[in-house]
Amino acid sequence: MLIKPVAEDFRVIAHSLGRIFVVVGLAGLVPLAWAMAGREWHPFSSFLLMIGIFLFLGVLGLRQPTGERLDWSHGMVVVALTWLLVPLIGAIPFVLSGHWGGEVDALFDAVSGLTTTGLALVQDLDHLAPSLNFWRHLLHFLGGQGIIIAALVVFAGGGALTLYLGEARDERILPSVTSTARFIWKVSMVHLVLGVTTLGLVAWQVLGFKLPRAFFHGLMIFFAGFDTGGFAPQSTSVGYYHSAVFEAAAGVLMVAGAMSFGLHYALWTGRRRAVFENLETRTILSTFGLTMAMTLAGLAATGLYTHVAGLGRQGFFQVLSAHTGTGFGTVPAPELAAWGGLAFGGLAIAMALGGMASSTAGGVKALRIGITVRAIVNQIREVLLPEGAVVGTGFIQAGRRRLTPQLAQAAMTISLLYVALFVVGAGVGMAYGIPLDRALFESVSAGANVGLSVGVTDPAMPVMLKLVYMAEMWLGRLEFVAVFAFLGFLYAWMRGK
Amino acid sequence: MRRLLLLLAVAVLLLAPAVPALGQVPVGGLLTDPSLYQGEVTVEGELVGDYGYRSDGTVWTQLNDDTYAREPLLEGGPRTGGNIGIGVRIPAALLEGLDPPGGYRKRGPLVQLTGVWEYHDPDRGGESYLDVEQLSLIEPGREFGEGVSVPASLAGVALIVAAGALWLRRPRPG
Repeated sequence: MLIKPVAEDFRVIAHSLGRIFVVVGLAGLVPLAWAMAGREWHPFSSFLLMIGIFLFLGVLGLRQPTGERLDWSHGMVVVALTWLLVPLIGAIPFVLSGHWGGEVDALFDAVSGLTTTGLALVQDLDHLAPSLNFWRHLLHFLGGQGIIIAALVVFAGGGALTLYLGEARDERILPSVTSTARFIWKVSMVHLVLGVTTLGLVAWQVLGFKLPRAFFHGLMIFFAGFDTGGFAPQSTSVGYYHSAVFEAAAGVLMVAGAMSFGLHYALWTGRRRAVFENLETRTILSTFGLTMAMTLAGLAATGLYTHVAGLGRQGFFQVLSAHTGTGFGTVPAPELAAWGGLAFGGLAIAMALGGMASSTAGGVKALRIGITVRAIVNQIREVLLPEGAVVGTGFIQAGRRRLTPQLAQAAMTISLLYVALFVVGAGVGMAYGIPLDRALFESVSAGANVGLSVGVTDPAMPVMLKLVYMAEMWLGRLEFVAVFAFLGFLYAWMRGK
Repeated sequence: MRRLLLLLAVAVLLLAPAVPALGQVPVGGLLTDPSLYQGEVTVEGELVGDYGYRSDGTVWTQLNDDTYAREPLLEGGPRTGGNIGIGVRIPAALLEGLDPPGGYRKRGPLVQLTGVWEYHDPDRGGESYLDVEQLSLIEPGREFGEGVSVPASLAGVALIVAAGALWLRRPRPG
C-alpha cells in the first residue's frame, strides 16, 4: 500500500530546500558584485530580484519546524526539486536581459548551465553583459561541484548521505560525507587558482589580450572546462582563441573535471599507482582510444582535412570534448554536421560513454562500462572453462571490490536507461523532421550533458523539443534515481492512503 | 556557324553550375559551404570580442556578419538567433586608429575585409580563418546605454528585507 506523504514530510523537504536556496542566493552575490563593479545596472537589478527570491524562499523553508530526520525518499525529492527550482529562479536574469527568446529559452540555458550540458539558446551572445556571462558560467560551477555539496559544506545537518548520493555521487572519499564535500571543494579551489592563472597568462602573453579580458576569459573557460560544462564567453566557443596552447590548457582542465574525485584524492595523497590500477581509468583510456581511432579514421575518409596536423588537432580536441562531456568546440556546428559516417559515430559514442563516476562529467560513465564489460567477459569465461573452475570476480575501484551479480545488474540497468533516454530524445527530434543521425547526436549530447551541437539546438526549434532536451539533461545529470523517486513521491501524494 | 557558336555560348552560360563570385560573400556561406570559397574573398561585418596582438605582428579577432552587427539586441535590434562569425587575422598596422571591438553596450567597428579564406589551414593545425590583406572602415564603433530595471530592483530589495525580517523572527528552539 502506498503511504500518502503527510505535512511533516513536506516540512522536512521544505527545510532542506531552504538551506540550498540560501546557499544559491548567497552565490548570486558574486555576479551582483560583478555587475555593480562594471556599472551594469540592468543586470544588477535582475540579480537583485533573483537573490531576493532565493533568500525569501530559503528563509521560509528554514523556518519550517522539523522534528524528523531527512530520510531516503525525502532526500531524493529534495535533490530532484533542487535541480528543477534552482534553474527556474536562476533563469530570471536571463529572461530580463532580452537576450533569450522567452521564458522557455532562458530556462533551457539555466538547466543546461546547472546540469553542465552547455547547449545554448542565447541570442547575440557577443554583446551580452559580462556579469550575465559570468552567471552562465557560475551555474556550471555550482552544478558541476554540486549545489547539494555546497550546502553540505555551509550547513551541517541531518540526511547528508542521502542528499550526497541523490546528486549522483556514489563514492565517499573520506569517512564522513561532510568531510568528503569539503575535500571536493578544496580540490576545486586549487584547480580554480591554478586553472585561471594558467589560462589567464596564456590569453595575456600568447594571445595578446588585455590583462583584465585575459583573466575574464581564463575564469569563464575554467568554469566551463573543469566542470565539463561547455558554455563559452564568445559565440565561436574555444575556436575563438585560435591557439593550440590555449586548447591544451583547457584540455588539461577538461580531463581533470572528468576524473572522479576519488582519483583526485589518490593523486592528492601521492598514490599514483592506484590511479592506473583503477578499473575506471583503464576503461576510459580504452574507450577514449577506440573512439579517437574511429573519429580520426572517419575524418580521414571524408577528406575534409588534407594534412595530418589539422586532422589530428581538430579530431583530438573534439573527441576529448565529447568524451569528457565538456562540449567545447573548435569547429562550427555546420562543419561538425558535415563530418558524417564513422567520425560522427565516434563522437556520438564518446559523448554517450562520458567521464568517470563521481566527477563533474555526464554520460553512462566509465565505471558502468567497465563493470558491464567485466561481467560479460566473466560470463563467457564461465562457459568456456571446465566445470568447477573459479573465475576471478575482483576489480580495483577505490580499493579491491568484488563484482557481484547485483552490482553488474545495477550498472547494466542504468546503462540501458541512458540508451532509452537517447533513443526517446532522438525519436522526438525525428518526429519534427530532423534526420536520424542529427536527432540522435543532439539527443545524446543533451542526455549525456555534453553540449556539442550539429545545429539542431536553436532558438527556432519547437518548444516541445526544448522541453524534451531539458528533461534529458535533468534525468541524465541525476542518473534517473532521484527523478524516479520524486515521481514516486508525487504518485504517492496523489494516490496514497 | 557563328549562330551555332552563339547558341552554344548561351547554353553553357545557362547550364553552368552557379559558382559564387569571389567578391563579397556572406560569412554564413563561408561556414556552411567553406570549400566553395577558396582564394580571395571580401566580407563585411562587425569586429567583436578582443584584439589579440600576437608576437608575429598580427592581430586576431572575430568578424560577425549577422543582424546584430548592424543593430545589437540591446539597441533594439530584432532577435534572429545566434551570432554568425569567423576568426580573422589582420596585420596590426591595418588596425591602427580603429575603435575597440564590440561587446556589451558597444557596437564594434563595421568593416569590409578582403583576404584569403584559409579553410583548414595545415600550417595552423586545421584552423579556418580569413587572412586579411585589406581593411576599410564602413562605420566606426559606437556605444549605447542600458537603463536600470526599477521594478526588478524594488521587488528584489523588498524580498531581501522580508527575508531578513523573517530570519530575525524565526522560531528558536527552547
